[in-house]
Amino acid sequence: MHSLYARVNNVSATMSSCLMALLAAIALSTFLFTADPKGDLAITNVKVTAGRDRRYRNKSQDYALVNFNVSADLTPLFNWNTKQLFLYLEAEYENAKGGKNDVVIWDRIVRRKEDAFINVVGKNKYAFKDITNTFKKVPAAHYALKYNVMPYVGALTYGEAGRTLESLEFPAAE
Amino acid sequence: MLNFASVITSGLMMWKTLGAITNTASPIVVVLSGSMEPAFYRGDLLFLSNPSAEEAKYGTGDIVVYNVPGAAIPIVHRVLETRETGSKNRAQREQKLLTKGDNNPVDDIDLYNGLQWLERKHVVGVVRGFLPYVGYVTIAMNDFPQLKYALLGGLGLLALIQRE
Repeated sequence: MHSLYARVNNVSATMSSCLMALLAAIALSTFLFTADPKGDLAITNVKVTAGRDRRYRNKSQDYALVNFNVSADLTPLFNWNTKQLFLYLEAEYENAKGGKNDVVIWDRIVRRKEDAFINVVGKNKYAFKDITNTFKKVPAAHYALKYNVMPYVGALTYGEAGRTLESLEFPAAE
Repeated sequence: MLNFASVITSGLMMWKTLGAITNTASPIVVVLSGSMEPAFYRGDLLFLSNPSAEEAKYGTGDIVVYNVPGAAIPIVHRVLETRETGSKNRAQREQKLLTKGDNNPVDDIDLYNGLQWLERKHVVGVVRGFLPYVGYVTIAMNDFPQLKYALLGGLGLLALIQRE
């Protein structure tokens, strides 16, 4: 009955259930940290340039260029179960038919608490286009700074750290 | 033998129930590529769910698992753009998605096999939870088939020589 096999089996079963319980406790502990830091987001300039589609050269395509300032202290989001932060800036607008458009124009991965003081003066990292290829009929857009907290184990959580108070118009293409 | 069959069927039942609750065909997937590093590495386990049918919208920043026609394996990437098109009625509107791997410099259009946008029918689920390393067993078994046979053989041998 108390063979070596039975002993090994017992020990490994106990160890793995302890490990599972520990992981579950760590995953659940994330819900106790309810930090909701806010930062400042300012869109300093929006410009639209007429150009060519990068894929289909004979098609004309407008690109929006957005300059922004972001300053935020996101250190409270780092707890013992935070692996990294995915920070992103998105433009939000509804087209003439009321369809929602959300476009991420800039993002950053923050891996250490020391890097979580965000202070960026930047411009959009990804091509900002409308599905109609032009911004002529696109109404004013809001911009929002959002984040995704990615844990070592457990649930992914999302939040918003900043938002423009007023919507910004797209100027005519240059 | 009966015991074995009951283990298999109860496993299958749990998988299907989990799928029904979370509204996806495969509620748990293993990461197979490194395009979401440093968040997800090969072998990490992801738990998926889908928004229920009525409010079936995805958001930017969501990490989705998708399968485009002709692709060999499902891909785990983050949503970069969402665009609603079509009908004036919000519920009937379709959502077009563009995704990008956090570790890739460019978006995924080249991975869509000629499609311009990803649609709901291509999406397996949204990543809600994360468990590191556990899925590596399946990757190891795929990369080194000998391991699979050794494991199966070992288990079979144990089942034969063990008597309760």
